[in-house]
Amino acid sequence: MKDRLFRDILPQVSKPARYTGGEVNMIKKDWEEAQAKMVFAFPDVYEVGMSHIGGKILYGLVNEKSNHLMERSFAPWPDLEEVMRRENIPLYSLESFRPLGDFDVVGFSLQYELSITNVLNMLDLSGIPLWSKDRPNGCPLVIAGGPVVFNPEPFAEFFDAFLIGDGEEVTLEFLDCVYKNREMDRNELLLKLAQIEGAYVPALYQVEYKDDGTIRKMYPVVKEAPAKVRRRVIEDLDQAYYPDKPIVPYMDIVHDRAVLEVMRGCQRSCRFCHAGMVYRPVRERSVDTLKKQAAAQLASTGYEEISLASLSTLDYSGVSPLVKDLVKEYGPQGTGVSLPSLRVDAFSIDLANEVQKVRKTTLTLAPEAGTQRLRDVINKNVSDEQLFNAVEAAFKSGWNSLKLYFMIGLPGETDADLDGTIELIRKVKAIGDRYSRRPVEIRASLASFVPKAHTPFQWRAQNSIEELDKKRRYMMRERQRRIKLSFHDSETSYLEGVIARGDRRLAAAIYKAWEKGCKFDGWSEYFHFDRWMEALRDCNIDPDFYNLRQRDYEEVFPWDFIETGIDRKYLIEEDERAEEGISTPDCRQEGCRDCGVCMALGVDLQIKEGYGDAIES
Amino acid sequence: MRLRAEYGAGPDLRFLSNLDMMKLMARALRRAEIPFALSEGFNPHIRLSLGTVLPVGLWSICEYFDLELEQEISCSEFIQKLNLCLPPDVKITACIEIDTAPALMKSINCSCYSFIVNTPLDVAEQWRDTILKKDELVVKSRGKKKDLDKNLRPGIFKIEVNRWQNFAIIDIWGSVGEPVNVRYDELMELLVLTGIDKEDILDVYRSGNYIRVKDNFFTPLEKVK
Repeated sequence: MKDRLFRDILPQVSKPARYTGGEVNMIKKDWEEAQAKMVFAFPDVYEVGMSHIGGKILYGLVNEKSNHLMERSFAPWPDLEEVMRRENIPLYSLESFRPLGDFDVVGFSLQYELSITNVLNMLDLSGIPLWSKDRPNGCPLVIAGGPVVFNPEPFAEFFDAFLIGDGEEVTLEFLDCVYKNREMDRNELLLKLAQIEGAYVPALYQVEYKDDGTIRKMYPVVKEAPAKVRRRVIEDLDQAYYPDKPIVPYMDIVHDRAVLEVMRGCQRSCRFCHAGMVYRPVRERSVDTLKKQAAAQLASTGYEEISLASLSTLDYSGVSPLVKDLVKEYGPQGTGVSLPSLRVDAFSIDLANEVQKVRKTTLTLAPEAGTQRLRDVINKNVSDEQLFNAVEAAFKSGWNSLKLYFMIGLPGETDADLDGTIELIRKVKAIGDRYSRRPVEIRASLASFVPKAHTPFQWRAQNSIEELDKKRRYMMRERQRRIKLSFHDSETSYLEGVIARGDRRLAAAIYKAWEKGCKFDGWSEYFHFDRWMEALRDCNIDPDFYNLRQRDYEEVFPWDFIETGIDRKYLIEEDERAEEGISTPDCRQEGCRDCGVCMALGVDLQIKEGYGDAIES
Repeated sequence: MRLRAEYGAGPDLRFLSNLDMMKLMARALRRAEIPFALSEGFNPHIRLSLGTVLPVGLWSICEYFDLELEQEISCSEFIQKLNLCLPPDVKITACIEIDTAPALMKSINCSCYSFIVNTPLDVAEQWRDTILKKDELVVKSRGKKKDLDKNLRPGIFKIEVNRWQNFAIIDIWGSVGEPVNVRYDELMELLVLTGIDKEDILDVYRSGNYIRVKDNFFTPLEKVK
């Protein structure tokens, strides 16, 4: 297989280094000796998949800490897919060049709703039946995890199981169970797997609908399956596994650097933010642990940059000492530190300057909305003053371009808010021009707001494509020198919205869309909105039902059976406060807001380096 | 202190680009804790320069790089330390200290490509003799002037044929840059156009990079002035 690939197949395709494996720190375990065999399948290309921290964690964890084995596979780019189909080459793993069908478990990471067509395509390239019900004994179990599976329902019929929440413990429990019961009939095995906390086996549940299309009830059909599936959560990250020897790819990948996960979760409570809700509470790693991990990773990889990742790194209580120590320790060898996103305040800029001593990084700030009123609605607790202070500090210290993130289509948004955004960008530019010798350039990225499951906005209607396009045209009506606005594609956002709050009935349309050739939907050159709409029509599905409809607080949602730990009452209260334009403070500054997570999951906020330090806003 | 090293990059790494190879070396140097020198400026990088670009798709037994060091280190220690940290398919084979040798990129003007061919030795020898007698060897250019006719003959300096197991190895010394830049894929096409079956070309790799002075071929380790 490998010889044939290297000699005949890979020379024909673009970027062949995606498909060769053999990287530094790759782990290839003995196939016969290993217990359960799992392939980590990422439904996007190598460069994207290899940049993902969750995959690095699971790969190291399974291979180093258990007798099971994990290999990797990524979506082949369409040029290779064509050759594979023509030459009858199945999708294979990069470690042992075995077809995916040889594994016991094929585990997909779902980071993004629209990656589902790539999942189907990868299964098809592996010769694995696409529908869970069609998979016989001996066929791999097809499972998924990641942020998208907090509403797994649109994909329920394609997967044998989902693992919900932090993967470090549940993945090993799952593989143990698979191995222990390897002789068991598939359906019996599924009953066993359903009893693992955090595992959801969709075939064991039934959904009944009302005449208006909403759900009457959803319930398990066997006693082994729990009525609610509770998400898994790692209590103490200092005790959790983290890879000291991540794989070092040969080719350029999206995030080509060592990564430290400084914390998990975020308590800022932005009302639009899915990750901020489903990964609570905040659990930090100590500076001590992180410094050890940095030393080990740099020694084993030779990376020239180290990134501090999390949902909001500047909120990490030890960020200041950590950055200073890392810069001091590794700066002399030309190893830089990078902060993926900055908080909008002067403190952040000071720290960014610290980092910039070694290596220049792009400066990005995310006010999300252009007016104070709208920021209060979405609970993005940033004031104009904070923003201007941050911007001033940045330009003063020599940055000459800036990127700003905003959203459009937010609940309650009016033309005045859109004007406010433009006005804000202009003011930012004016501050820059004052401090810089040359006129500065401001780039603003405007994403379309997509309401997500498990957030306070889960009841809200999404803006239609027409509304979004109208807003885009409105904001673009006057050209501004050295101000660049880039908008997300409204059709992509629309479809994302349909799937994000979709239910089981969507599966037929997803399958149809794949049959019509949809794949790499996250890549604009491959996104075919018309094919998706055709597929939905063919299946008699009205997509507006899923995303353009304002829902009642009483409605039963497809994702209600997944217990994130957050109280529904809290979400309703937050939605009502949004309506009134009242913001909600961070729970670690102003005390508990009763979201319910800590009680429900028996965990606690874990602030490792004291409460006072990083928070000064 | 400056070092010049010779290394091989095996078949498993044939799909790496020049930039990938550069990164691979830089990261291995960091893992091995070699006392490399850094460039100045906002984006400090290791002062490492590779020889002629090894094209994607080709492997090699004989590539070169120059490296600036901040502290003294013996060549044998350098080789030993770095080899421990390189992927299995890359190996430093030799290393010397140099002072102010001209840049590799500028001085290497000839590369040798080796084709492993499933052909009896005498057939390969006959092929060589015919080729060397020709005044013109025209192929389609794969380089900048894509698909234009390109005469490789002035850039072919020498061809040797040897036996390896049941196969013949054809070594072709071709020019880099002037008078004509000879690419391995163009040589491959030449072989096919002149009677060697494509199926019979089992593999190709680069077996040498030289500084050619008239009819003498010096390796970059032999000629450092």
